[in-house]
Amino acid sequence: MAARDLHGIGAPWGDRSPGDPENRAFEVIGKPHRKVDGLAKATGRAQYTDDLVLPGMLHAKTLRSPHAHARIVAIDTTRAQALPGVHAVITGRDLPIQYGVIPWTQDENALAVDKVRFVGDAVAAVAAVDEDTANAALKLIRVEYEPLHAFLDPEESLARSEPRIHDDSKTGNVSKHVRLDFGDVETALASADVVLEGDYVFHGTTHAAIEPHCALAQWSAEGLLTVWSSTQITHYVQRALAKVLELPIHKIRVIQPALGGAFGGKSDPFSLEFCVAKLAMLTGRPVKMLYTREEVFYCHRGRHPMQLHYRTGASKDGKIAAVDAKILIDGGAYSSFGLVTTYYAGQLLTGPYHFPNYRFDSTRVFTNKPPCGPKRGHGSVQPRFAFEVQLDELAERIALDPIELRRRNFQGDFTRTVNGQRITSNGFLACLDEVERASGWRARRGKLGFGRGLGVAGSMSISGTNYPVYPNKMPQAGIQLAAERSGRVTVFTGGNDIGQGSNSVVAYVVAEELGMDVADVRVVAADTDLVPVDLGAYSSRVTFMVGNATIDAARKLRASIVLAIAKEWQVDAARVRMANGRVFDTESTERSITTAEAFQIAEAHCDTLGSTGSYNTPTLGGDYRGGTIGASPAYSFTAHVVEASVDVETGRITCHAVWIAHDCGRALNPMLVAGQMEGSAYMGIAEALLEEHGVNRFGLHAGPSLLDYRIPTSVDTPELAALIVESLDPEGPYGAKEAGEGPLHPSLPALSNAIFDAVGVRLRELPFTPAKVLRALAEKDARSAPVARGRA
Amino acid sequence: MRVLNLLINGDRVEVAAPEHWTLLEVLRYELGLTGSKQGCDKGDCGACTVLLDGKPVLACLTLAALCEGRAVTTIEGLLPAHVKAGGTGPDPVQAAFDECGALQCGFCQPGMMLSARALLDRNACPTRAEIKDALAGNLCRCTGYTQIFEAVELAIARRIGIEPAPRAWEAQRMPADEAERRAREFAEARERQKEPR
Amino acid sequence: MLRLPNFEVRTPERLDEAVALLAELGEGARVIAGGTDLVPNMKHELFTPRVLVSLARLPELRGIGDAGPGWLRIGAMTSLADVAADARVEQHAPALAQAAGLVAGPQLRTMGTLGGNVLLDTRCQWYNQTYFWREALGFCLKKDGTLCHVVEGGSKCVAAASNDTAPALMTVRAELVFAGPDGRRVTPIDDLWIADGIANKKCGRDEILVEVRLPHSGSGHRGAYGKLRDRGSIDFPLLGVAVKLELNTEDAVADADVVLTALQARPVRIKRASELLRGVRIGTEAFLAAARGVAEQAHKQAHPMPNIPGDADWRRAMVPVYVRRTLEAAATRAGPVHAV
Repeated sequence: MAARDLHGIGAPWGDRSPGDPENRAFEVIGKPHRKVDGLAKATGRAQYTDDLVLPGMLHAKTLRSPHAHARIVAIDTTRAQALPGVHAVITGRDLPIQYGVIPWTQDENALAVDKVRFVGDAVAAVAAVDEDTANAALKLIRVEYEPLHAFLDPEESLARSEPRIHDDSKTGNVSKHVRLDFGDVETALASADVVLEGDYVFHGTTHAAIEPHCALAQWSAEGLLTVWSSTQITHYVQRALAKVLELPIHKIRVIQPALGGAFGGKSDPFSLEFCVAKLAMLTGRPVKMLYTREEVFYCHRGRHPMQLHYRTGASKDGKIAAVDAKILIDGGAYSSFGLVTTYYAGQLLTGPYHFPNYRFDSTRVFTNKPPCGPKRGHGSVQPRFAFEVQLDELAERIALDPIELRRRNFQGDFTRTVNGQRITSNGFLACLDEVERASGWRARRGKLGFGRGLGVAGSMSISGTNYPVYPNKMPQAGIQLAAERSGRVTVFTGGNDIGQGSNSVVAYVVAEELGMDVADVRVVAADTDLVPVDLGAYSSRVTFMVGNATIDAARKLRASIVLAIAKEWQVDAARVRMANGRVFDTESTERSITTAEAFQIAEAHCDTLGSTGSYNTPTLGGDYRGGTIGASPAYSFTAHVVEASVDVETGRITCHAVWIAHDCGRALNPMLVAGQMEGSAYMGIAEALLEEHGVNRFGLHAGPSLLDYRIPTSVDTPELAALIVESLDPEGPYGAKEAGEGPLHPSLPALSNAIFDAVGVRLRELPFTPAKVLRALAEKDARSAPVARGRA
Repeated sequence: MRVLNLLINGDRVEVAAPEHWTLLEVLRYELGLTGSKQGCDKGDCGACTVLLDGKPVLACLTLAALCEGRAVTTIEGLLPAHVKAGGTGPDPVQAAFDECGALQCGFCQPGMMLSARALLDRNACPTRAEIKDALAGNLCRCTGYTQIFEAVELAIARRIGIEPAPRAWEAQRMPADEAERRAREFAEARERQKEPR
Repeated sequence: MLRLPNFEVRTPERLDEAVALLAELGEGARVIAGGTDLVPNMKHELFTPRVLVSLARLPELRGIGDAGPGWLRIGAMTSLADVAADARVEQHAPALAQAAGLVAGPQLRTMGTLGGNVLLDTRCQWYNQTYFWREALGFCLKKDGTLCHVVEGGSKCVAAASNDTAPALMTVRAELVFAGPDGRRVTPIDDLWIADGIANKKCGRDEILVEVRLPHSGSGHRGAYGKLRDRGSIDFPLLGVAVKLELNTEDAVADADVVLTALQARPVRIKRASELLRGVRIGTEAFLAAARGVAEQAHKQAHPMPNIPGDADWRRAMVPVYVRRTLEAAATRAGPVHAV
């Protein structure tokens, strides 16, 4: 690791001791500051992609496949092209180069070439004077299809390799298979006091960000392409555009305007970005494409459905001896991030508990359904659900309190997992303590009467990954700072603010380091022409990596300013301090100037003021193939307690409250951290109770609307209590780790475990629909002595 | 095309638009008032909520041609209206959303804030349950709603001139009895305001 | 965004003018009230009228007031929010007030009208979809196609009546006043329905629903509405149960009525409800037993199909539960039943 990546966990001017939990030495960090873009968003001024209009702009629409799996025999676009107002029509022939976010599995085309692989696969695109004309043109395109057998069941894809969904696949309809073995699982299971074995089912869910995907492209006479897109990873979109359009990457500028939610659903390069670019190049006009909500459901890239089989062996006092997992993953039609998903499904389970022996066997298959990808807690939410329910079953079997069971298996901090991942700070025990206390667990669990209960679950999650999507030795995050004689500092960051507040975080860091008001820090973000490369908003990397890069840059800038002032005052630089918008001499405090005056002096002494900073992960991961996938510079830890009740007549579950304890390292802004924790738990409970992303028997999306894909309203959301745990991480910025994805994981198993406490049934299959609950209750009744219930 | 005479944020506006356009399309694409968002196409999400004669409606299902003679308020209208009424800066609802962290991606929030504004205009001191009911047609995917409720309650507290109940995350960071006391005091003050004078 | 097809908008100022306009325009015209059902349906290209005739400016269709002795009138253009909040509606038809208050979400209740909800198009998961989606399926019996996907091989459309207010109005024996080319006609709401999902109402294309009339209720009137849906807001009913009880001075049931919606093409009245409950005092074991009897009867009569989203078997299992709970809620004035 480069020295520049280690900044310590303390305040910039404080004693830098870790014993400062209340952040007293900090001026900005740790306080509930407003977001830098809060009022712009509150007043309607913030511009999202579809809010942008360029002179002469055309509108584009996509023709989509009505077949789940078919060969394209012929496409005739002549009538569409002849329609007045139509400026261009493109098909797969115009964009034949394949792309995909993972370099090794590039199997997507912007528009289908020869084959369509799910209902909604993009086939052609039209640019016209307005949306109505573009839609009318779509209806004039004739496509002749030869339907093929459609795979809707992952088991079938595993069993049958023909017809191939991807013709050039060497592994039939298997997208990726990973098997990794650590220790001696069979021997440990054979000698374990207790072995639990069970099947668990995780359904598909999608992100449902409220902003639909949108892209706008402009092609200039100088040969420069500009694409504004609702993406969470500008850099990968830029790379993919360069490849597919065969343009030098420096001729492409990608800008992410304000973004209306992503949750992983805007991580891939999408068809519309290539289509607007190509259409702009063909027509010489700016071209915009806004997906309908229905199209957003076809884009999907949501959570993979998984069928999970777990065996857990333990001693009779509850110590885990071995875990054995076999997982079948339904990938949908394309690879997307699937290679990583297949690894994550196994690699990220090895904390916060100590596993002496562990094995997983994950297989991702292709099916003729909308492609799955990364959704908040990518690849690890599904195994976590299965395993944490199985842990609860273990607690029941050995009659141990489920929180105590989890405590007994705590792996500790500054340790290494069975699969070779380095664990640094680990506040999981404090998380358990917090949820136990806040929920009144000891006094209430098992004592709320039949029908109401409490459940617990824990989890671990990554703060970024040391594995960049394309291998390279350059920094994963870069920052530039420009300070100017007015007293203003501008931060240039490639970090993508997707609502989580990353632009605010860089402003807080700069303000903290330079002792300035946050309002005097401007942030220019996610515009590839203006900012250094950053790998974007995924895998919860932004606070950790961009935060560290910002500290790096800010400390360099500070050093040059301090040096200049020291020179001006002819004092030792150690006496110069920047705080509260002023620069002063610590030994002669009447000597004090404003930040702006200091910048002027520094500018005179040095040069135009600026600095750069960067971050790269240290070398991490296990020494085996795939050992770096899931290796993170720091892991966050979470525990939830859920309180829920069951109406035994209707089967309906009411989730009353979720206590969310999350170890995020230092909370750089506790209000924003709490917002991530509350939003995560909300989303997890929603996935457990309401949401299901699937297709019907024809392979059509079962309900591609926000009416039929039911995300909770204000009256459906439980009370959410965010309990922030701060185990300061030695490598995080001021000790910070992630908060955006980890706090989702335990929601689903904790709810299942609460149902068990409430009514004694184990829900192992998501979502927990009332019909499933009633069936489980009926099975339980059938097993035990019949109990009269007040059925009508 | 049809020439429409509309009253938008207090201004009389004459605009020509295709007759089949919704109010949302006219606001966004003819008038450049892009603060009203489009999320679901067809009345399922509430992102396009605007006030029509002071009541929240969905602009994506409202025909622009039927808005003549009615007063339309969009998110862009709140701050100027507040200033015109003698206030400074943004509408108290907007300020509170900003201060409470209720604006994550911010995309659903213009509609949410207009629903909240309409609620407070007809019921100055709503309870948490009344707030939830009034916002039940505005989907938010980021926040889990908690910081939104807290923002509306901050706006209420400011109006009554009392300290708001601690936010859920703050309450967990202070002694339980203090959190309870502050929550109780806020609820009592709110109740007193509701009682007929 | 998803676009509306082209059309013109007319805004007549008088009822006779509106009626004449509809007659003149014929097939190519449709009436628009609140638009909350029609506009999404038009975005789905389920309807592509050339002309929309707005009822927004017709004074005859507005307001809640007396309609002669013993009757309350509610103008067809009265918003669902106003119906839900009106003290007279609450007094004379509490089930209606509760049902109106549970339609969709707050904004849609502000926009949507009572008339529009009564005349709501039937709904089906194979029908309320975009043109692209429906075309991919080969369309369906209700629109543009010949196959039913709910009942494979079925020749009769089974799209579900999904209006919350209709069953409530049926329990209070409401009447509907239509204006058409031949003048006004008054019809009991019971006579409106046809068991056909394609068009489940006897109502001419050139007719306009002017108002809904309800008989005043006495002090023994009790009503409640029960609504089953996945979320606490926005969703259409997976099942709707409207209940009326008329109590005598001893708090015994003199008359009762139970009507269900969201099961099949028309609202369904539960047989023998009054017979089973008559003479039973509320708050007694006998009442609970009688309510269970009505619930059993409802279970026999109700056969939900996989027409709207949700598990049809579960919806059927919920019929007796919701009937019983709604009866109990009516008796204790504890409605609506809306456990989410």
